[in-house]
Amino acid sequence: MTKRQTRAFFFASTGLFSAIFIALTVDSHRQFPRLTHADQITPAVVAGKHVWHQKDCINCHTLLGEGAYYAPDLTKIAQQRGAAYLRTFLQDPWRFYSEERDRRIMPNLHLSDRQIDDLIAFLTWVSHIDTHGWPPRPILVSGAAVPGSNVGAPSPQPASSDPIAQGQALFGQAPPGCFACHSTAPGVSLVGPSLAGIAARAAERVASAEYHGKAKDAAGYIRESIAEPNAYVVPGPTYSSNGQSLMPGDFATTLHGAQIDAVVAYLMSLK
Amino acid sequence: MRYRTQVVAYPYWVVALLLYGLQMVFGLLAIAKYLGPDPIRTLLPFDVSKEIHTNLLIVWVLTGFMGAAYWLVPEESRTELYSPRLAYWQLGLWTVAGVTAVVGYLFGWTAGNKLLEQPMPVKIAIVVVMLMFLYNIGMTIWRARRLTTTEGVLVAGLAASALLYLPSLLSFDNYTVSIFYRWWTVHLWVEGVWEMIQGGLLAYLLIRLSGADREVMEKWLYVIVALTFISGILGTAHHYFWVGVPSYWLPLGGFFSALEPLSFLAMASYAYMAMRRSGLAHPNRLAIHWTIGSAIFSALGAGILGLAHTWPAVNRWTHGTMITPMHGHMAFFGAYVMIVLGMVTYAAPGLFGHEAEQRETPVGLWAFWLQIGGMFGMTMAFATAGISQTYLERILGLGYLETQQKIQVHFLMLVGTGILFTIGVALFLYDFFFLAPRLSRKAAPGTWPATAEA
Repeated sequence: MTKRQTRAFFFASTGLFSAIFIALTVDSHRQFPRLTHADQITPAVVAGKHVWHQKDCINCHTLLGEGAYYAPDLTKIAQQRGAAYLRTFLQDPWRFYSEERDRRIMPNLHLSDRQIDDLIAFLTWVSHIDTHGWPPRPILVSGAAVPGSNVGAPSPQPASSDPIAQGQALFGQAPPGCFACHSTAPGVSLVGPSLAGIAARAAERVASAEYHGKAKDAAGYIRESIAEPNAYVVPGPTYSSNGQSLMPGDFATTLHGAQIDAVVAYLMSLK
Repeated sequence: MRYRTQVVAYPYWVVALLLYGLQMVFGLLAIAKYLGPDPIRTLLPFDVSKEIHTNLLIVWVLTGFMGAAYWLVPEESRTELYSPRLAYWQLGLWTVAGVTAVVGYLFGWTAGNKLLEQPMPVKIAIVVVMLMFLYNIGMTIWRARRLTTTEGVLVAGLAASALLYLPSLLSFDNYTVSIFYRWWTVHLWVEGVWEMIQGGLLAYLLIRLSGADREVMEKWLYVIVALTFISGILGTAHHYFWVGVPSYWLPLGGFFSALEPLSFLAMASYAYMAMRRSGLAHPNRLAIHWTIGSAIFSALGAGILGLAHTWPAVNRWTHGTMITPMHGHMAFFGAYVMIVLGMVTYAAPGLFGHEAEQRETPVGLWAFWLQIGGMFGMTMAFATAGISQTYLERILGLGYLETQQKIQVHFLMLVGTGILFTIGVALFLYDFFFLAPRLSRKAAPGTWPATAEA
């Protein structure tokens, strides 16, 4: 092979693969609107993207798996946590996390209410992008999909006096040991059903025709399920026996009212 | 130094090496924050230290490349540089833009786009600098009417880098589309045209250090850069897998990025064959260390470790974990840091007007081995952290925060090996600024005695 031939090889192959790349780029542009639901890019989403960049979020977090690895991935956060929770969190991250416990903490970005709403709109839009099934298993900010996997960790302590933070800690403590039967990861059903997205599901159930309990709203439904598991029994192979829920029926007496309030507040933050 | 104006390289490398030292400071700060708690969180949050760490890398490596081009082009084209004055102005503007960006980051002035955080005015200044640079180099070659393949590949790589920076000036409302074009700059730089630069510098250094036959070396240089683009252009797709693109990018990205190690392996065997054929009897032993080291380390870091998580079925689980910095650190160090340090070390005696090209100080060797050892250790620390993270967080479903606590021990290892690496960098700077041979000027610059160099 001569130098002239290798030079020709270089130019020909580079030209060929550049051409293929550009052709595929053109085709991708044809498909982007469908894959990313571009029709849902509202002015709020665009403004939220601007906040995302302006506050340099990507140099701690990942989004679509891209960014820095110092803080959790946010691709599906809007689906995992409701707007209400995210709004409260962004107003004051320290309500739910503590630097002593977690070794790092998100700084308060002092966002305006408008900026927070825009950011949530942006993250909600991102959570619906067609990512070919990524992440293959939901990435939890904290907690454990399967009990026992957080080997050797001390019993979780609340980060602040906020009910959601209190409830989250209580959920992971034994007693009451909620985590032993309920996962908060989507699709992970243990003895009891997964509580991922329970806030949204509870609202649907209260409104449905099959429900005959006393609860009027989602929070009421969750409270009722804790205090009286038999008020409405979710069908499932290991959830009940002869129409009787397998969940302990004495939480109304073993937990204080404030503790139940806290667990309800926490579960209501799981959209 | 054969041509007086090659001395322009010196201030470029001074700036580059100082920024290299500064990069270490912010790297160590970033990893200390991983251990936490962070007492200076309000003063300097993690995102700022990380963004300065990566931006300094890009800026100083590019400064090193430009210095290398100012050293190499006059020699290859056998002429003086077109305008040293323009080169100094260019460096001044470049440094001002770089320092402005870094200081701006400290005060939250950022575009917040990973690796392309430079605010728009800085981006425009960068484009102007690149045009000044290309004009100066282009005029030098044009006036000499002499363009070797080695310098051609180097200059084409730098020109293409400038061109591929342009997509970063665009902004899109659709986040997926902006990611798509962000990689045109970032990926096509580091896994495309920067490899051309590395290849060009490697060819130059191997020709000089081993006395290998230029025709043969340049012939294979074309093959190497061809392999780079055959694999690297469509290999861009390995960044596209999960960001909302059509599904055909997955098999394409998997296949072509699996070929990416080829060009790096080709460079390693290129160096090995040159050494086998012609021997490496050159008295600048330190430069030989860095040159061969770059060829080997880039094959490992950029080639093999990139391959380790590029296949879609693997990347599905490792995407966005510490596996990425495992590959990133060793790849950048092997391919780009080492080749720049090789050029600096090779040129140092000539640059300082010293007669002998001999260069092998104990401090210089310590600087080499501590950086090699430190980087190897850091890579292992990132790898063990990343593998643990993938299993605990992605497969077992443990929360992000719980996982981070469980992999703390790897961050400790990262701190230890990072300190070793930093000592190596400090020794390199000490060697360059204080120990490199400075001459009793028997031979004035420009009348450099002919040596073994062809």
